[in-house]
Amino acid sequence: MSNMKRVQKEILAIEQDKEAHIEVILPEDGSMNHMTAKISGPVNTPYEGGLFTVDVSVPPEYPFLPPKMKFVSRVYHPNISSQTGAICLDILKDKWTPVLTLKSALISLQSLLSTPEPDDPQDAQVAAHYKRDKEDFEQTAKYWTEVYANPNAEVLPDGVKPEALARLVDMGFGRSNAINALAEFKGDEQAAVESLL
Amino acid sequence: MSSDSDYDDDVMNEFDDTMDEDSIMDDSDDYENSLDDSGDELEYYEDGEDLNFDGVMAEKHRKKLYQVDYTVQSSKHLMGSQDKEVGQVASILGMPKEHAATLLRHYRWNKEKLIERYMDNPEKVLRLAGVVTDKVRRIIPAREISTPQHPFSCDICCDDEEELETVAVSCNHRFCRTCYEHYLRQKIREEGESRKIECPQDGCKIVVDEKTVEEVVDKNTHLRYRELLNRTFVDDNDHLRWCPAPNCEFAVECHIPSTSLTTIVPTVECECSHQFCFGCGLPDHQPAICPLVKKWQKKCEDDSETANWISAHTKECPKCHSTIEKNGGCNHMTCRKCKYEFCWVCMGPWSEHGTSWYNCNRYDEKSSHEARDSQTQSRASLERYLHYYNRFANHQQSAKLDQDLYRKTEKKMEEMQQTSDLSWIEVQFLKKAVDTLTQCRMTLKWTYAFAFYLSRTNETVIFEDNQKDLEMATEHLSELLEKPLEREKIAELRQNVLDKTVYVKQRREILLEDTAKGLLEGRWTFFVDLK
Ligand SMILES: [Zn+2]
Ligand SMILES: [Zn+2]
Ligand SMILES: [Zn+2]
Ligand SMILES: [Zn+2]
Repeated sequence: MSNMKRVQKEILAIEQDKEAHIEVILPEDGSMNHMTAKISGPVNTPYEGGLFTVDVSVPPEYPFLPPKMKFVSRVYHPNISSQTGAICLDILKDKWTPVLTLKSALISLQSLLSTPEPDDPQDAQVAAHYKRDKEDFEQTAKYWTEVYANPNAEVLPDGVKPEALARLVDMGFGRSNAINALAEFKGDEQAAVESLL
Repeated sequence: MSSDSDYDDDVMNEFDDTMDEDSIMDDSDDYENSLDDSGDELEYYEDGEDLNFDGVMAEKHRKKLYQVDYTVQSSKHLMGSQDKEVGQVASILGMPKEHAATLLRHYRWNKEKLIERYMDNPEKVLRLAGVVTDKVRRIIPAREISTPQHPFSCDICCDDEEELETVAVSCNHRFCRTCYEHYLRQKIREEGESRKIECPQDGCKIVVDEKTVEEVVDKNTHLRYRELLNRTFVDDNDHLRWCPAPNCEFAVECHIPSTSLTTIVPTVECECSHQFCFGCGLPDHQPAICPLVKKWQKKCEDDSETANWISAHTKECPKCHSTIEKNGGCNHMTCRKCKYEFCWVCMGPWSEHGTSWYNCNRYDEKSSHEARDSQTQSRASLERYLHYYNRFANHQQSAKLDQDLYRKTEKKMEEMQQTSDLSWIEVQFLKKAVDTLTQCRMTLKWTYAFAFYLSRTNETVIFEDNQKDLEMATEHLSELLEKPLEREKIAELRQNVLDKTVYVKQRREILLEDTAKGLLEGRWTFFVDLK
């Protein structure tokens, strides 16, 4: 059974809805079973201002089986693996029904960002952090949003990690100098700092 | 099959013509006739008073106290049983059968509870079970064809062609037939769902009824669906249990409530001949009641290191100390080297067993006193446990070795047919004797778990005597069956085995009857909480 017609229609609907702050980027080969989505972090959360990249794959049995989604951007959240981006969300598993859509699933991801459920964690360490000290957790989450989901971030050269760059900038070095130094020493933070001093 | 159906159970009456006619007439209906037509042979105990579903062919004998009423049900019977219950509820509540079925499945086949709740508040019951959402039950066509006047676009596949066939249940969430079928097939074949497949609409709790499923899916998917429904029927029903034997597809119906498991051991026997406990599903564990079995197994697990050491401990001939391996189920050991005869269980000389059976079955209070004097309390309690565990494990191991005995016995039976004028049917006594032996070993095994938890009173002496008698009789039979065949003595052997088998069965029956009676009368006290 072909799901092309439905997926096409769904993507069109996402493109037409500017309110949802969701964007879908299809690969250039025109296939419809794998795509990248970008969702904005909800306001009044530590994810506000971030633009999160989500990898979406549409199985051949779609919509009778749910789409597979995982975060490409690193996210600090109890229900999202800080290592792999895997998502713990019921509608992507047993609560899926064929009338749900890619858009409704992506909107659910947004609402998952606003309402973490630390009692059903995907990342136990992050969940423990959340339960132990919510304020401290939010600071880390905010920091991760700035570093990993910054919509204005320039494309960094190979080997330059955003967190290393952020630390160098925090130390007071100029941003472009820091990028160049990190690129030169293939991400070796210590060597980059020494060359900048 | 009951324990007391003797050698003649080959010729056991499948239909006893002395059975009173009422018990047949009471339960007879069309369904039973189809049962007879199918040629299924089922054996039942007692008359049909408690048996809800099926016709009864009773083996006419007084039911023993340790036996319970039950019936064995094939998958066809199970379907018939469900249809019957559904039909009844549908006519009482005046609703279509498919809705009655959804209600019954929601109430886990507790008909009385369902009817009571329904009478109280039908709307609520219908809503909770996912039959209808609205207060007013509308008539909604399950299947429709879209027309230019009534255009339709399927929310699943986005198809909006004309003359599209659509399907909906009572919520009227309509989808094209192709999508509906795909959805149901996914739920049934991939997810193994059956009794609670909800409408595809997000958040809709209406259950897709059995009639709609049947109309929409292909034949194989429907068969699978029925199979899954059967499974939940048994799983949800307190009076039914699947036979736990591998690949066995029968279920057993028994009306012993779980609250009675402290006073009765509901042993049942499946069509496949597997004997198991209806209460807990474990292999037959007469005379120990389920809660004791559970505690005992837990204890054995916890103490397994000690126990393993003990059971793996190599035994030596008490006289010449050469290593001795047990190679048969019999406890009468003869050292190959020095020919010393002794008992595997207590290591005492066998000669003392012959005349007065050693205190092999009984934890001697005197020696326990001595143990307490010389050892700490905990050591004594471990020794007490090991005393019972060793005897339990010994019978378990012997029963395993008896599997070899089956093979040896088969050879003997062939040999007998060739060397004597006995026919195939006449040599069956040997196999029956091994059956009896294995069964008695299982019983003996569990008598030790029973005894471990039993508080010692005057009453327990009778139990211990019964245990001792059964143990001795079982060992005699075992010994007789292990002996090599002597051609000239076949007739003598046959008589001997027949006699001993009858005797062993009697001893088992006496023990089980007495323990069952004691349980019902509250004669036994256990020093553990049975909750
Ligand atoms: Zn619905
Ligand atoms: Zn459709
Ligand atoms: Zn069976
Ligand atoms: Zn049991």
